[in-house]
Parts: sequence; structure tokens; C-alpha cells
Amino acid sequence: MAGPRRKGTVTPLESHFSPEEVQKATKHIQDSIAVKNNELHQLRAFVDDNSNLISLVPFGKAAFFPGRLIHTNEFMVLLGEGYYADRTSKQTVEILQRRGKSLDSQVDSLQLMINNLNSFIKVADSEVEEGLVEIREEYVEDEDNDHSDEEESESDLPVEDATSSGKSTAKEMDYAAFLSMMDELEKKEELAEKNGDYSDEDEETTDDFNDSPYQRPVVNNPKNPEGSNQAIPLNHQENIADQLNFESLAVQSQVRGKIAQNVKPIDPSVKPPILPREKTSQATSASKIEAQHQTSQPSFDSRKAFTGSIVEHAESLPKTSREQSSNSQVSSSQPSKPVSRFKMQRK
Amino acid sequence: MSSSNIRDLQRELENKANDLNKLQKDIAKNHQVRKKYTIQLGENELVLKELDLLNEDANVYKLIGPVLVKQDLAEANANVRKRIEYISAELKRLDATVQDLEEKQNSKKETIMKLQQKMQSLQAGKGKA
Repeated sequence: MAGPRRKGTVTPLESHFSPEEVQKATKHIQDSIAVKNNELHQLRAFVDDNSNLISLVPFGKAAFFPGRLIHTNEFMVLLGEGYYADRTSKQTVEILQRRGKSLDSQVDSLQLMINNLNSFIKVADSEVEEGLVEIREEYVEDEDNDHSDEEESESDLPVEDATSSGKSTAKEMDYAAFLSMMDELEKKEELAEKNGDYSDEDEETTDDFNDSPYQRPVVNNPKNPEGSNQAIPLNHQENIADQLNFESLAVQSQVRGKIAQNVKPIDPSVKPPILPREKTSQATSASKIEAQHQTSQPSFDSRKAFTGSIVEHAESLPKTSREQSSNSQVSSSQPSKPVSRFKMQRK
Repeated sequence: MSSSNIRDLQRELENKANDLNKLQKDIAKNHQVRKKYTIQLGENELVLKELDLLNEDANVYKLIGPVLVKQDLAEANANVRKRIEYISAELKRLDATVQDLEEKQNSKKETIMKLQQKMQSLQAGKGKA
């Protein structure tokens, strides 16, 4: 046969591609076509979803009518204060992100401020605890002792109670401590007067007061009530009358004085002296304040000139400091809250 | 005599306390207004920032009552700036008034303190006598 000599050869396709393989290939292609079709379908559906964002538009409370969103890439953005702007979706996202950032920064700054205030409160609290908590304990003990005493000294105590009604407890205790102190001082004075030993006693007492925070109020507050010239004689006269009253109080105050001395070691004499002074300003100068107020707030210097020269001065100095401390304390304790509130708001 | 004096003092004290109350209310009101303005100022600054970022040809609208009125970008910008100026001026004014009120309040407190001390002294004097 001439088969082998011919140039071309006829070979059936099947020898190259087995029918099984062909079938496999077609099946594979059909599969992939189906997958693509599926994807196309999804995409179509997605497009439909986006061009028909709303299939039913609410109309009133109960009714709907069919509708769809056409301009899906046009946003009207409220910039604030009634200003709107036409924006695309991308631009809108940018605007919103910027707004979020600025709001975040505001939150951060507020948080910082809150932290600052908290730390301030902590400091204030710790300060208060150092001074006041211990005093409170003392007061509980005091109350038992005091009840009998209060009856004796009713004539004086009501006045103080009325004045210190708000924050009475801690003060009453201090009041006792202060009374004992005052008694000692006045006895000293009395002795000094009798001995004619004015200058020595004067120095002693002033020194006593200068040791601890007594000076502070005097220096800080340049508005000393009472003209020293006029007030001193008045004070002096009335002191004698006062001393009578105070001697009646002496027993009671000494009882309290012991308690007060218990306080001092715990509390390094800072707080007790200040608070008691406030009390005396009410108690001892109760009668004197009248005179003090008649001469309304002369200059601080006139008073200072008297330091060490006259007996009364030693007494009047602490007195004013006491009075000022009472002023500053009361006024500071009350306004402190509102003031701080204002500051907060201002920030 | 002293009792009538005390009564007078008490009346005076009450008056002063009322005044003080009024002052405190004023201060509180001022602070509220101040707060409102501060918020507005923040909002306006935000608007200004956004307006600055807008393109020249962007459409800007202002909501006036129920109507959106189309505005020039430059015009809107100028309006917002003016508004910010006004608000800051107002804030300054409020600060001044608050300070003034606080001063008044403090002086009132002082006078009240003095009155109280006076009354105490009177009462103490009466008690001793």
C-alpha cells in the first residue's frame, strides 16, 4: 500500500484528543461559564440594589408608594449653623471624618481637664484629711463631755452655735481649745497688768502668736478692722468684764483644753490654732466687735505701729488675725464651690 | 433698744441675703448664656473650616426657616466669619459682666459677714447683760 509514501497522513482526531478528555474540557468550560454567569447576576443585582435604594417611600405615617433613589452619589451635607453643601459620597465621608476628628480632640481635651480637676480634688481631699478627720474624731469624744458643760455655759454657747451652725461640729471642738488658750492668755494679761509688767508679757504673747500661722492672716489681709487707737481702750475696758465671764467658763474650757491638747500632737498645731481663733473672734470679741465695727476698717499700718508697745496690742493682734481667719475661712469655704464651678465652665 | 437693733439688723441681713441670691441667679444665667455661645462658636468654627475646604463651584445652601436658600460660597464664608466675630465679642462682654457680678457677690458676702458678726456681738452683749 502507498500509505507510507504519501506526504500527508490522516490521523483521526480521536488519536490526539480522546473523547473523554474533550468532554471533560467542555464540561470544565461550561462550569466556569456558569460561575461567571452567577457573578454577573450578582453584579446586576447589586446595581439594581443601588439604583433602587428605596423600593417603598414612606408617605405620611401609614402609606408608602414605590420609588427609588436615582442620584445616589449626591449628598446634601449639613455643615452646621444651617449651612448645607452639595457633596459627593467621597467628599461627604471626608467631611464626616474631619468632624469626627475634631470632636475626638474636643473629648480628649475635656478628659484632660477632668483629670486635672480630679487630681486637684485629690490634693484638696488629702489636705482636708490631714487636718479635719482627726478633729472629727475628737469631736465625738467631746460631745459626751460637753453636754454637761454646755448647760453651764449656755449664755455664751447659743451665740456661737448660731454662727457656726453650718459647720458646727469641728468648730465647737476648736472653740474649746481656743477658749482654754484665751483663758491662759487673759490670765497672763491680768497678771501682767497687776505687776505693771506690760512689755514682757506683750512680747511673750506676740511671740506665741507669731510662731504659728498667726501671722499669715495678718500679712495676707491688709484690711484689719478696728482702729487701734480707739479700739484698744474699749477693748481693755471690756476685757475686764469679759474676763469675769471667761473665768466662769474656765472650768469648762480647761476640760476642753485637755482634749484639745490631745489634738495638737496629732495635728501639728496648724489647724487647731486657726479654727479656735475664729471662735474667739466670736466669743471674746463678741462685745468688742461692736467697737471694732464702729471704726470701719482703718489701714493695716496704723495697727502695725503698735506691735510690742502696748499690752492690749498683743491681744488685739491675734484677735484681728482670728477675725480675718474667720472671714477668710467662712468666705473661702462658701464661695470656693461656685468659683470653681465657674472656672470649669469657662474652660 | 438692743432688741429693736437686732431686729433691724435681721431685716437688713435678709435684704442682703436676697440681693445675694439674685446676684447668684444672675451669674448662673450668665453662665448658661455663655455656654450656649461657646457651643455656637465651636460649631461656627467647624463650618468655617469646611467652607474653606470646599471648591469654588460647590453649591452652598443656608437653611432659613423651612427653605434652603442657595448662597454664594464667598457670601457664606463672610457670613460665618462675621458670626464668629459677633460671638467672640459677645463672649467677651459676658465675661466682663460675670466678673462684675462676681465682684458684687463677694462684696455682698463680706457685708453679710459683717452684719452677722454685728448681730452676734449684739446678742452676746445681751446675753451677758
